[in-house]
Amino acid sequence: MGRYILRRLISVIPTLIGVTLVIFLFQRLIPGDPAVAMLGEHATAENVARIREQFGLDKPAFLDRDALAEGDLPGFFDSQYVSYFGRLLQFDLGDSIHRRIPIAETLEERFPATVELALLAMGLSLIIGIPIGILSAARRNSILDGTTMVGSLVGVSVPIFWLGIMEIMLFAVILKWLPSGGRLSSGVAIEPITNLLLLDSLLTGNWAGFTDALKHIIMPAVSLATIPTAIITRMTRSSMLDVLQEDYIRTASAKGLAERVVLFRHALKNAFLPVITIIGIQVGSLLAGAVLTETIFSWPGIGKWVYDSILGRDYPIVQGVTLLIAIIFMLVNLLVDLSYAMLDPRISYE
Amino acid sequence: MTETTPVLDDLTDFAVREHRSLWLDAWRRLISNRTAMIGLIVVTIFVLSAVGAHFFWQYDAKMDLDYGAKLVAPVLRVSEEFPEIHIFGTDKLGRDIFRRVVHGGWNSLRVGLVAVSISLAIGGNLGLFAGFFESADLNRFEKTLLMAGIGLSLGALPAWIARQPFQSLLFGLLGIVSVSTPSFLADKSKLRRLLFGIFGMLVGAIFGFIVGPMVALVCGVIGLGIGLLLAKPVSGKVFSNIVMRIMDIILSFPSYLLAIAIVAFLGPGLEKGMIAIGVVGIPIYARLARSAVLSVTQKEYVLAAQSVGEGHGRILFKHIVPNILSPIIVQATMGLANAILSAAALGFLGLGAIPPEPEWGAMLGDSYKYLSSGAWWAVLFPGLAIMFSVLGFNLLGDGLRDALDPKMRV
Amino acid sequence: MKPLMEIKNLTTRFHTQDGTVNAVNGISYSLDQGEILGVVGESGCGKSVHALSIMRLIQIPPGEIAAGEVIFDDRDLLKLSDKDMRSVRGHEIAMVFQDPMSSLNPVYTVGFQISEALILHKNMNKRQAKERTIELLNLVGIPEARKRFDNFPHQFSGGMRQRAMIAMALSCEPKLLIADEPTTALDVTIQAQIINLVIKLQQELGMSVMWITHDLGIVAEMVHRINVMYAGSIIERGFVDDIYNHTLHPYTMGLLGSLPSIDEAPGTKLISIPGLPPDLVDLPSGCPFFARCTYREERCAKEQPVLENGLEEGHSVACWRWREIQKMGVS
Repeated sequence: MGRYILRRLISVIPTLIGVTLVIFLFQRLIPGDPAVAMLGEHATAENVARIREQFGLDKPAFLDRDALAEGDLPGFFDSQYVSYFGRLLQFDLGDSIHRRIPIAETLEERFPATVELALLAMGLSLIIGIPIGILSAARRNSILDGTTMVGSLVGVSVPIFWLGIMEIMLFAVILKWLPSGGRLSSGVAIEPITNLLLLDSLLTGNWAGFTDALKHIIMPAVSLATIPTAIITRMTRSSMLDVLQEDYIRTASAKGLAERVVLFRHALKNAFLPVITIIGIQVGSLLAGAVLTETIFSWPGIGKWVYDSILGRDYPIVQGVTLLIAIIFMLVNLLVDLSYAMLDPRISYE
Repeated sequence: MTETTPVLDDLTDFAVREHRSLWLDAWRRLISNRTAMIGLIVVTIFVLSAVGAHFFWQYDAKMDLDYGAKLVAPVLRVSEEFPEIHIFGTDKLGRDIFRRVVHGGWNSLRVGLVAVSISLAIGGNLGLFAGFFESADLNRFEKTLLMAGIGLSLGALPAWIARQPFQSLLFGLLGIVSVSTPSFLADKSKLRRLLFGIFGMLVGAIFGFIVGPMVALVCGVIGLGIGLLLAKPVSGKVFSNIVMRIMDIILSFPSYLLAIAIVAFLGPGLEKGMIAIGVVGIPIYARLARSAVLSVTQKEYVLAAQSVGEGHGRILFKHIVPNILSPIIVQATMGLANAILSAAALGFLGLGAIPPEPEWGAMLGDSYKYLSSGAWWAVLFPGLAIMFSVLGFNLLGDGLRDALDPKMRV
Repeated sequence: MKPLMEIKNLTTRFHTQDGTVNAVNGISYSLDQGEILGVVGESGCGKSVHALSIMRLIQIPPGEIAAGEVIFDDRDLLKLSDKDMRSVRGHEIAMVFQDPMSSLNPVYTVGFQISEALILHKNMNKRQAKERTIELLNLVGIPEARKRFDNFPHQFSGGMRQRAMIAMALSCEPKLLIADEPTTALDVTIQAQIINLVIKLQQELGMSVMWITHDLGIVAEMVHRINVMYAGSIIERGFVDDIYNHTLHPYTMGLLGSLPSIDEAPGTKLISIPGLPPDLVDLPSGCPFFARCTYREERCAKEQPVLENGLEEGHSVACWRWREIQKMGVS
């Protein structure tokens, strides 16, 4: 098993390098002079020089053939990409252009907010999606099944940013039940332990803090959970339907097992394999969807940060956060593969 | 015995069910599927209104401005106060939202079609060939082409370093030589590889020496590597592996995020959005087409065609392509829905259509800041437009899947 | 002696998009204690569906058991509550299916899947069930049964899986074992092993067996009586010798004729029945075999023949012309 994990980890490396390459190439997409594009037309010469220095814009992109022609072998490798990659290996994501502080620093305070939101949204999707998916497969063509199918199609079709806006309109503007944005009301403080506010407030027994944090997170979490819920429901349903056609399900019924046992013991474990893949993919959609959801609800996570950075043309932040999300996404998918191997006895580790 | 047996004149099998073509059958299933029909109707309304508005209902976004009618709630009847009908109300610049929603449909339709076309044209073909090369034995000509291509593209690196384009042609030639001499020293493959390696090294070093000794050294090492690689003619699986690895890289990004990031760097604009959404969709079609091809090539009818010696091109387009169409059609329909949704998201973030161009996402992005003033109509209707058009394509795609999937046939 | 099971007018339909499929059309017969009954017919003749109807394993919808009674041990199975029916399944009536490759759940061990029934019906605890399962695996001839208990189905060969399926079916000592083409998916040598195993176990345990197959050759050796089914109806029924020696129905003649025999001179052509069975959605009003029958006459197209007693005791046939055909002296 250990060797299998190691082999899978190694197989990820080329893709990971490819990902850094794509992210590096992003800045080549910028029309015109990147330094000017980042700082605007009226940038001081000093600032432009600083940006050129930071990005090594005066160096060639990948390899320096001129240096090599002059017999300088180390100079051959002194390029933008090589130094970018070298910095990444030291966990240096670069600096923000405008705030001039390392991206990693801001990430530390921003990332937990996104994680908290994503975890809650994923929890909601799983708690709602899987049982409903199982039930509608078991009661195929019933009213419940029909409602589920239509509901889940609406769920994948609704723009989540619009759903968020409509939630704010209803619950914050008209009914005034919930705050329209942010993570905590001003004046409420929660002692940081994990920086996940719901968890921290529970750990410190801070009930007022907990309810306030919950009120803030509920709307963004619901709108972020919409698409994953719909997709997980559909996938669970269709995967269960496939499995329920299998001969071994008939065998289980012929044994005299109750329907509940057939569904949850014999069908679910088989049906769950494709669902896990979908769950893994949904983690990606949660992190990406955070850009929209966090923007609408002014949620101080990495999504809102990316949005602000796009508007401010702070490209290193966009690159850094995109890379981080891609890496997380890859790791999650790796975990999915590994759990596949654990759940399905037909897959051997070697 | 024959005398007593009343042989009826026609022993036709009236028991055999009448023949129906796959597509006709699919169409019948589609129209008997209620949700699919609703989807088809919604899509038809959406397409007709978008196309109709674009060609027959003049709208100049740049001139559309009426400060006198800012944020007017829906007006269904003309009165003293409201001289004009606005069934969806007006926005912050006094523009009629109904009109902008209808014209926004044209943009959404355009984005959807262009983006899906990009994904499908590139991804579908990559997947088709990857799957086919992976499963089929390449013939001489195809192998030559493949090896020449590998030689040329790998040779481009030393050629670039030494500024000698001719060099890469030589590596391409080496690839061809490798294919046309399969038996040459094949039993002493170490010697064969050594010869190829030395030749590659010489090519690299000689051309590099024109520029300088260090370049000769680097190019020589690279040439040696390429030569060793070219010594063994590769199978089609290599091509497939390379393509799918690149697809994996694109798939390592959550799709939304990649589109947002691309447009963030390219700069806003509807056309750039189309490209970004299209590029992001490429791997989906590549994977789908590849796996469909792989499953089809194991089918008896393809094996039969191969065994009677039909050419690869003929097998590919006559036997394989028609049989992988249905999952592709379903995915493309769903892909339209997805592209419309992504385009709206880009528009909402200010990365899509440039104002005052009417685009649903951008209209939402413009208006949601006025939410506290209670102008619900300015966000409700563009959102509903997105939802219904996306839902329409999704319903249609779902129905198509049921209709085209032969597994579901009873 | 009272029969173990008596089926009266069993009718099963499926409501599909293409129309109502009349899979089983009012069949009636009885099955004695300790009897081995062969149910023979082409694929799609309703033989499996009728078995699944007895077990009430038909998916409803699209299926529907439209009419009939299944009297088993003085109870009508079709009228039992779901809970009571569950205690019949696997306990009093057990079933072995056609494809052993797909009939075992791939994610659970073979041992677990066999013990499951024991824990459920015999109130055993896990340990007792395990011991009993190992005995059963031994009984069906799986070597190193104790080690094999923890194997997953994919670690078993096809023949071993079918043995495991039989062990599972026999685990609760059922009164009736329904074997639905249990050897079709296996190769010939293993087929014989499985058949011998079932005969041996039947004699040891004294249960009744219903053996469903499309292969008349297989059942000849092992069964007592045969039901020949065609298009959802029983068209001939009787003791195995009578069926073979005094075949009454033209369809059965065709089936026997299409059986290759070692005795035949080399070069003899295999006889096949022309045409296809009728569309079950749109059954002809007369005899279902009409379209393919060499002996058909006008009456056959209009009226459906019902089972009537033939020459011997317990031999019945559904054909208008069986007497005339007999006189022609064809066999």
